[in-house]
Amino acid sequence: MIEEDRHFTAELAVIGTGLAGFAASIFALKRNIKTAQIGNTGAVAYTTGYLDLLGSLSPDYPTSIEDPWQGIEQLKSSHPNHPLCRIRKTDICTAFEQFTSFLGECGIAYTPPGKSNLSVLTPAGTLKPTLCIPSTMKVGSTAFSQKEPCVIIDFKGLKGFSGRQVVANLKDKWPRLSSSRIEFPDMVTGEIYPEVMARSLEVPATREKLAKILVEAAGDVKIIGLPAILGMHAPDLVRQEMEQLTGLQIFEIPTMPPSVPGIRLREMFEQLFPQKGVILVPQQKVDKLEFIKNGAQLSLSDSFGPITIHSKSVILATGRFLSGGLKARIDGINEPLLNLPVTQPDSRREWYREKYTDYRGHAINSAGIEVDSSFRPLDTRGQPYSRNLFAAGVILAHQDWIRGRCGAGVAIATAYKAVEEVEKLLR
Amino acid sequence: MINKGSGSGMTKTTIPTINFKEKAEELLPEGASFEACLTCGLCSSGCPASGIENMDPRKFIRMAMLGMDKELSTSKWVWACTQCKRCQHVCPMSIDVSQLVFLARSNWPQEKKPSGIVRSCQLIQSTDSTSAMGLPPEDFVFVVQDVLEEVRELQPKFKNMQAPMDKKGAHFFVNQNSREPMSEPDEMVPLWKIFDIVGADWTYSSKAWAAENFCMFSGNEEAWREVIKKRVDAVNELGCEIWLNTECGHSYYTMWNGINRFGMEADFKLESLVTYYARWIREGKLPVNSEWNSSNIKFTVQDPCMIVRKAYGESIAEDMRFVTKSLVGEENFIDMQPNRSANYCCGGGGGFLQAGMTEHRRTYGKRKFDQIAATGASYVLTPCHNCHSQMEDIGHHFGGSYGVVHFWTLICLSLGILGENERTYLGPDLLECI
Repeated sequence: MIEEDRHFTAELAVIGTGLAGFAASIFALKRNIKTAQIGNTGAVAYTTGYLDLLGSLSPDYPTSIEDPWQGIEQLKSSHPNHPLCRIRKTDICTAFEQFTSFLGECGIAYTPPGKSNLSVLTPAGTLKPTLCIPSTMKVGSTAFSQKEPCVIIDFKGLKGFSGRQVVANLKDKWPRLSSSRIEFPDMVTGEIYPEVMARSLEVPATREKLAKILVEAAGDVKIIGLPAILGMHAPDLVRQEMEQLTGLQIFEIPTMPPSVPGIRLREMFEQLFPQKGVILVPQQKVDKLEFIKNGAQLSLSDSFGPITIHSKSVILATGRFLSGGLKARIDGINEPLLNLPVTQPDSRREWYREKYTDYRGHAINSAGIEVDSSFRPLDTRGQPYSRNLFAAGVILAHQDWIRGRCGAGVAIATAYKAVEEVEKLLR
Repeated sequence: MINKGSGSGMTKTTIPTINFKEKAEELLPEGASFEACLTCGLCSSGCPASGIENMDPRKFIRMAMLGMDKELSTSKWVWACTQCKRCQHVCPMSIDVSQLVFLARSNWPQEKKPSGIVRSCQLIQSTDSTSAMGLPPEDFVFVVQDVLEEVRELQPKFKNMQAPMDKKGAHFFVNQNSREPMSEPDEMVPLWKIFDIVGADWTYSSKAWAAENFCMFSGNEEAWREVIKKRVDAVNELGCEIWLNTECGHSYYTMWNGINRFGMEADFKLESLVTYYARWIREGKLPVNSEWNSSNIKFTVQDPCMIVRKAYGESIAEDMRFVTKSLVGEENFIDMQPNRSANYCCGGGGGFLQAGMTEHRRTYGKRKFDQIAATGASYVLTPCHNCHSQMEDIGHHFGGSYGVVHFWTLICLSLGILGENERTYLGPDLLECI
């Protein structure tokens, strides 16, 4: 069969479709940099939708911190190599502002970055600190802080979200919280998923049916919390209409993965980026990355055949183990695309502490690649691997994003910085 | 490739048991092992077949890992999965359940498989036409000639129109879904008119002209190979540069995938008509516009899995939207959610329409019905016959008020050349626009 080779050219190739990769493309769009983005389905679909900057100074200070900006200052003395310590705070703030305003312009409104963290609900009804949240979740944060009467609704057949559990975990802090279990309209019996309910709520008739059930479940209470199911691609409109139909204030709580807020983000990026001029090759991994004169050549294949991309610069945002940015092998951790040196414990025995839940964390979680002050990955000699290569996101060493509650912060801030450096190189 | 499992020596009506875990290791590419499954459930969460026959993609994988081979080998769910590959598309580990579903289907004894799919495959094999409706070559030639003569006679603008047959060296070898010559021959005419207007050098073939291929869906790999061989030979014989696939999704996929899978020598390119609609509009050869739609009738599109997610990806999805917007006006196009490669299968794919499992098929199609309803569009455009039939059926079943139209119909409507007998799928609102 005669096949045509597909070639694309770009000024920037972003490798990775997680938060860091998408953030990099957003910042590149803002700077009119012609961008191609490639990546296998990232972990974006697993996110709660919350955008953390810094929620804990673990292990030195394992409890939640209220002021992430002050937290970064403290981090500078305890962990000067932490990626967040290598970026100016004004840049971090701008990065969050640009990122959240882009999401808002594209139909998923977010709260802008504030001076302090918000205290928000997890699917289990515990609390966590975060910087920016989807607007659909905002009422919950306010209702909690003011201890307003509220009903948490859950659904028959929905696993992984229990109103009773949320209430049980919060009853000491939120006395007038109660729960109610209802049936989702027109859903056949059996397991139902938040994604299915969210898509169903894009149909006006379903919204009307659910509104009637919600009014009954709320009784005299005027605020209700739902698992995140308020539509997939226009959540703010769905929430607004549900509020109008019920006369109630409604907010969402993230659910266990697969969680709707994450799927919302991924579907939005995948739809809008091509429309905005990004050459997006989703669901694929780059097979080979070579640096040639004044740029790089990326080789990959999708279901239709081989693709070659020539780009003047590259941002490596391939994530950690789940996404394949790092690989754990019997003889150590490596970076599979370019075989960049990975800062890591001397031996496998030091990867983990004895107890998985040890608040001090595990050494393996701070492993990653090293970069210079321009976020260029370093080779074995400590020199930039290529002047055209930059890195962003949690592939970077010296951060433990889970314990530090800083995953989005590292992703967004380092993507901003890397794109800024790309622009310097290009212009 | 077909695994007989432990079936040898069993009675004909027993479904042999497959060792799925072992087979998965053979079939799946490196790094896509089922052991990599995180059990996150993104596959099941976004699969319209989840819950049917008490099964879903995640459960299928877990059961395979647990060695529950007998249960999986006999699960009717494999006939409700349309092999649309959405599960793989959303899976962070890129695990492809559809390959195991194909394996399971092929393992069912012929007499136990859904008879509608088996019959369609047998009919394809029964003539040189490769038609799933069994229309022999001479009948196809006759119908084409008969319809052409009538158009030339009754529509003066097209008195010289051609529908070439077996023209050696033509640029395009055009295939045809059997539904048109068999059941609604006037539906071929808009396509001929489009070729006439753009001056395309094209031909039908009396042999292997048909598009559909249910042998793949029946899990009959050998029959699938035979059908593709006939089609490849026919194109090679006529020396055409391009095998142009009409508005039919799976025909493209079975041919494209089959040629690669069976390592056949094909001296031609495979292209979709959608790509050419877009090209001809961009080049000004097909001077469509949306002025006819002054009443702002709203349209959406259904991305056929077989040509979008499973084959071309974004480029054809983009072409489809470009063509639609050109035809109906940008402001009258409402995209379905989700869309493009993330789109949901309508439930007409994988042979589901032919499988006789009507209740399951409609349960599956309810998601699509909701997605269409959410757009509020009056019409769905889709370049796929199975999508077309399924969306019509679920529309009637669930009380929808939308219509489903072919691209060729709307192109000719926009150009003011849609004949009276070519308006089957137009509702009163569109008829008023003529």
